[in-house]
Amino acid sequence: MTQANGWIGTILRVNLTDGSIKKEPLNMQDANDYVGARGLGTKYYCNEVDPKIDPLSPENKLIFMTGPLTGTAACSSGRYEVVSKAPLTGIIGAANSGGHFGPELKYAGYDGIIFEGKAARPVYLHIDDGQVELLDAGELWGQGVHETTEALEAKHGKVRVSCIGTPGERGMLFAAIMNDKNRAAGRGGMGAVMGSKNLKAIAVRGTGGVTVARPERFMREVAKARTMLKEHPVTGNGLGTFGTEILVNIVNEVGGLPLRNGRDGSYWDKADDTSGERLNETHLVKNQGCFGCSIACGRVTKIEGKGDLDGFGEGPEYEAGWSYGAACGVNDISSIVKANFICNEQGMDPITLGSTVACAMELFEMGAIPEEDIGFPLRFGDAEAMVKLTQMCADGEGFGQTIGLGSYRLAEKYGHPELSMSVKKQEMPAYDARAIQGIGLEYATSNRGGCHVRGYMISPEVLGIPVKLDPQVTEGKGALLKTFQDLTALCDSTGMCLFTTFGIGLPEIAGQYREAVGTDETDEEILLKGERIWNLEKRFNMEAGVEKDTLPPRLLREALPSGPAQGKVNELQTMLADYYEARNWTADGIPTAEKLAELSMTY
Amino acid sequence: MLVKFLATYRQIAGCKSCDVPAPADVLELMVALCNRWPAFDGLILNKDKTDKGDDVIILVNGRHIEHLGDVATPLTEQDYVVITPLVAGG
Amino acid sequence: MAQQLVVDPKKCVSCRTCELVCSFKHNEEFNPRLSNVSVFHYEDAAITVPIMCLQCDEASCAAICPTGALRRNAQGVIEHDAKKCIVCKMCVSACPLGNISYSPAKRMIHKCDLCGGEAWCATYCPSGAITLVDPDEVPDKKQLAADRLKAAVEEVCA
Repeated sequence: MTQANGWIGTILRVNLTDGSIKKEPLNMQDANDYVGARGLGTKYYCNEVDPKIDPLSPENKLIFMTGPLTGTAACSSGRYEVVSKAPLTGIIGAANSGGHFGPELKYAGYDGIIFEGKAARPVYLHIDDGQVELLDAGELWGQGVHETTEALEAKHGKVRVSCIGTPGERGMLFAAIMNDKNRAAGRGGMGAVMGSKNLKAIAVRGTGGVTVARPERFMREVAKARTMLKEHPVTGNGLGTFGTEILVNIVNEVGGLPLRNGRDGSYWDKADDTSGERLNETHLVKNQGCFGCSIACGRVTKIEGKGDLDGFGEGPEYEAGWSYGAACGVNDISSIVKANFICNEQGMDPITLGSTVACAMELFEMGAIPEEDIGFPLRFGDAEAMVKLTQMCADGEGFGQTIGLGSYRLAEKYGHPELSMSVKKQEMPAYDARAIQGIGLEYATSNRGGCHVRGYMISPEVLGIPVKLDPQVTEGKGALLKTFQDLTALCDSTGMCLFTTFGIGLPEIAGQYREAVGTDETDEEILLKGERIWNLEKRFNMEAGVEKDTLPPRLLREALPSGPAQGKVNELQTMLADYYEARNWTADGIPTAEKLAELSMTY
Repeated sequence: MLVKFLATYRQIAGCKSCDVPAPADVLELMVALCNRWPAFDGLILNKDKTDKGDDVIILVNGRHIEHLGDVATPLTEQDYVVITPLVAGG
Repeated sequence: MAQQLVVDPKKCVSCRTCELVCSFKHNEEFNPRLSNVSVFHYEDAAITVPIMCLQCDEASCAAICPTGALRRNAQGVIEHDAKKCIVCKMCVSACPLGNISYSPAKRMIHKCDLCGGEAWCATYCPSGAITLVDPDEVPDKKQLAADRLKAAVEEVCA
């Protein structure tokens, strides 16, 4: 039975150690305070798990959580979040994904699933509406994401599948959880947590529905938001036509595309070879949308006539296109598409993987990694070596295992941790914080380590959405980032896609949320929930033992050698002070008692 | 002076970039481009031809014109201009 | 004269918004299983096809219905009257296109009624893959073929 407020009202608790499966009522107080998906999943997690545990131990829990808008017609709201302590970073990991899996879970009658313990042997969870069972995954173990998905579809009919590939089984630190084959809860190693529990997959089929509190008013809000998205140049046409890879040229032109692990600055004369324009000409078959999404930025792509590279799949997105492109100095787009296919087929985060290959390339070129460790030369620009190493990483072979540690542990192993382009051990994505100041502040303060989707400062600094800020100055960045982070936490937690925020803002997100759950809270009160979520994550990280908010020394000390931001470094300290003040945290970045009281936080 | 086009503007111009004699400022450049490719009308220039269009990003030497002198930003032969419709990703 | 839904699979982005809004319009519930539109995705071909009732001129569902629950209204739409329906499911079998559905959960028959002329699937379709048009406006395939031939001739002669 569904509740008439966007929620089903039921959480599935699966203990993998003893095989028990329980259905329990959704904690509505927490759902109201922490919205859903990212926020609510994190709240459940913080309530139940000691921040000090080893992420890959049976004591860790793995939470799949939908939002109150997941499975409704709210724009681009087909998302779910996976929450756990992340093995790559040792802090909170929350990774969200689109596709069709999240809504199907709700239609089956569950707002979320909490996995506890560890199965004695490989299992998968099969959900067919009210019938839930743990089944043997012996034959699936060792299979890739696509093979696993197809096998479960063949066995159970019309199911939606979320699963891991072999890197996740082995506990590779940035293994992703993949659903609907090519959609990823990608960052931080959620797939490794799943693998550590001997949990291969979830296959779900649901025939129920989701209802909302005020149907007519809800659909009015939906219609308004959808119209705005349709009329906005980015969400109405731009993203669908060119995908996210369209950013390559514009980011490069402002001098913000990190080149060769950031060693060679951030302007590349070959950027256009790897651009969205180029991808459309060479590999695009069609664009595709996730469930209920009008933006449809997804790329269905194909490689033909390239021998070993040939394949069919999705992507790359901008960040993967950069990590395998500019970061590795590789301008062969087919090789970039191929490396991304491998990541999808085996469930690996391409941002971390490509960046780690780039880091290894720099270490090799400076003589810090001997060739015999790798087995072949690994120079910047070597497309063949890059694809080969990606496959080796997927298969856990040879030097691929070292790549599977991520760039921080790899660079540390070879004596140069400073050359890992990561924050809190997670690789930063495709924007150089020397050319674009605010994104550096975002990387440094992100609650899940180096990341672009926790407060996307590229939007104001490069694109001018919703206001145009100068990327090269520090003024005003702290306060705006704080608002962006809170709004993003809210957006993620409703079940909506962050990309909607290019075309709509707080009034539309809050409007759809309000009518779905049936609250009369103001926009500001609803945004405050985003701030509460941010502070909850921060508090967890502090107890888990988070490192300080900083950036790799390269971004703070090595001035850009060329491009429009030539001579610049990131002025982090100035912005950090503004940011902590905007958050009403101490000068050391610690949430104050006053702030927590204002947010009515019981944690 | 080199002018680069991105995204859909490449289809309008039929090329990735072109060389044009440097006009006095960005506004004059936009007018010249609209004269050469009328499909740019209403996109890179507003209707009254007094300012840039709403959904265009213009860079001069990699800097947004908003942080220079808007459409009055002066141009010389050595300058390098990038024009793109508003796009996004991430 | 009845309006007609026209589907263009080339434009479909596979988002299933049509399923969501259709189920909501008729049930106040978001539930693709209750939708009168079904979206079929062919992954290998990267093609997606939305399918719904086409309001056949020779409607087998109405012809076979023993209680007169399925009838053509003044707008030319075959309407389903739940009050008269005995849920015998003959119409489900009779429809050659599979466009009449039975919901085991609700124990009812449901089919497309063009939302009384609003056709939410078309209204909310973000990519224009589903449109509601007057029959006169349905693109004439003969005309399109002629257009293509003309273009080819022009190219050859140029």
